[in-house]
Amino acid sequence: MTNPRLALLFVAPALLFLIAVLGWPLVQAVILSFQNVGVIGTEGEWIGFDNYAAVLGGSNFWRALGRSLLWVVANAIVQTAVALGVALILHQKFPGVRVARTWIILTWIVPTVVVVIIWRWLLSTSGGMVNPLLIQAGIIQRPIGFFATRESAMTTLVLINSWRWFPFVALMMLAGLTRIPSDLYEAARIDGATAWKRFTRITWPLLQPTLMMLGVVGTLLSFNVFDVIWLLTAGGPSQATQTLPVLIYETAFKGYRLSEAATVSVLTSLLLMGFALLATRAMTASEEAR
Amino acid sequence: MKRTLPQSLALYAGLAVIVLLIGLPFWWVMSGSIKLPREIISRVPTMVPQSFTLQHFEKLLQSTDFPAYLVNSLLVALFSTVFTIALALPTAYAFFRMKFPGRAALYRLILVAYAFPTVVVLIPIYGLFARFGLIDTRASLVIVNIAFALPFSIWMMRSFLASVPRDIEEAAIVDGAPPRVILLRIMAPLIAPGIASVAIFTFIASWTEYLFASVLIVSDARRTIPVGFAGIIGQYQIDWGLLLAGATLATIPVVILFAFVGRWFVTGLTEGAVK
Repeated sequence: MTNPRLALLFVAPALLFLIAVLGWPLVQAVILSFQNVGVIGTEGEWIGFDNYAAVLGGSNFWRALGRSLLWVVANAIVQTAVALGVALILHQKFPGVRVARTWIILTWIVPTVVVVIIWRWLLSTSGGMVNPLLIQAGIIQRPIGFFATRESAMTTLVLINSWRWFPFVALMMLAGLTRIPSDLYEAARIDGATAWKRFTRITWPLLQPTLMMLGVVGTLLSFNVFDVIWLLTAGGPSQATQTLPVLIYETAFKGYRLSEAATVSVLTSLLLMGFALLATRAMTASEEAR
Repeated sequence: MKRTLPQSLALYAGLAVIVLLIGLPFWWVMSGSIKLPREIISRVPTMVPQSFTLQHFEKLLQSTDFPAYLVNSLLVALFSTVFTIALALPTAYAFFRMKFPGRAALYRLILVAYAFPTVVVLIPIYGLFARFGLIDTRASLVIVNIAFALPFSIWMMRSFLASVPRDIEEAAIVDGAPPRVILLRIMAPLIAPGIASVAIFTFIASWTEYLFASVLIVSDARRTIPVGFAGIIGQYQIDWGLLLAGATLATIPVVILFAFVGRWFVTGLTEGAVK
């Protein structure tokens, strides 16, 4: 149908809504980052690039950025590995496969606070299931506090967040798998290719576009994770799990340094936008090369 | 094709691991919610409850604000869902079935909105809402939820709209049906699975939203489950029975919803992703 006036009429409500609720606040965030507002609701004055100089000159931002990168990479590795195995299994035919494909996403549809309670309880030193199981298996001697040390807190958070997200990633991979023509596998089988060969020569290369797409979307999604971290460790112990979103929240709503938080926000968005831009460009380039 | 015995064994072993990995934690929580306190914290964890009690649910519903959180969450999620569909349907229709100048650019703009870190707009949105007296209202959460669900919802409707044959629309146009009728009476029923996907996505996103709900809502009676419930965690000296009962009650609504439209949702999620 070609009726530009009507089309714009259809698009306008959603567009105006997004401009008002996302676009305008985005502009405000930039404005705030050039002022010195402390507590929410108070007035500030223009101070130019002072906030940027302070944030980039201090160590908090860089440390949080490092943790965010670690967080994104660790989550990507764990989730991709587990999700690929799960997707390959769900790609098979077996009784109940449709039920399995639907309900696998259970961990993703419950509120984060439920995920938090599940794991706080299972990992707790009194009554939790995980410590006794690990002791029985001979892996540890005494119950361990999973959120007690810097390294274990980060590792545990990555594993819990991956538990929440791997089914989502697996479904996306499954969608990519179903797109691979089945006659390729038939032909390979007739030629006597082993299962491993079929995986490395057909599945893996043809899954690349899906993996690239997931790499971009997944990076943005895990970068933004806030509630799991906040509710389980609040960024601790001693800032070991304070990623950029946690730093922004703490600076604005615990430290009452609104402009400084806005500055970190703007820097974070620039980083993510740059990443998204480069990644999508690389993706289109590799698609054209195909 | 037939599987060899080792292949079958590997497949079912893998399936068993998945079921345990996802099912076991939920089973422990749900079965834990009906155990007596001493069994919950016993040194030797039990797989099957050895005791039965509803005391945790009673305490949760009678001496905490959990019922209010539940109602608030349902209200916020339902209103967010209805408005998101109302906004996403015409927009997606225009984007994927009509031609107009600036279409590609506008579509890209909407996708960019999806990629943005939500925490970035948290601070200015607080300021904006304060100016319009929206702080501490459930409406503020509905507005925010719509804004965050909308880009993804438009994107998700794409594959569903693409699957409707052009002739159906063209026949309606020839018959002189106005665009409103075409959209609501002809297209909407045909892409019902797509609308269901959007509905469940928005519902879940609103149901689980924590960050904005924690900042925009001030009074306890207006809190949604994620924030209200998180407050209960800190309030009581770790009463696991209470928390497990709450986790169970917070899970049930999405599970019921998913039992009806889960299949469509998974299709919507995966179809859009590969096209």
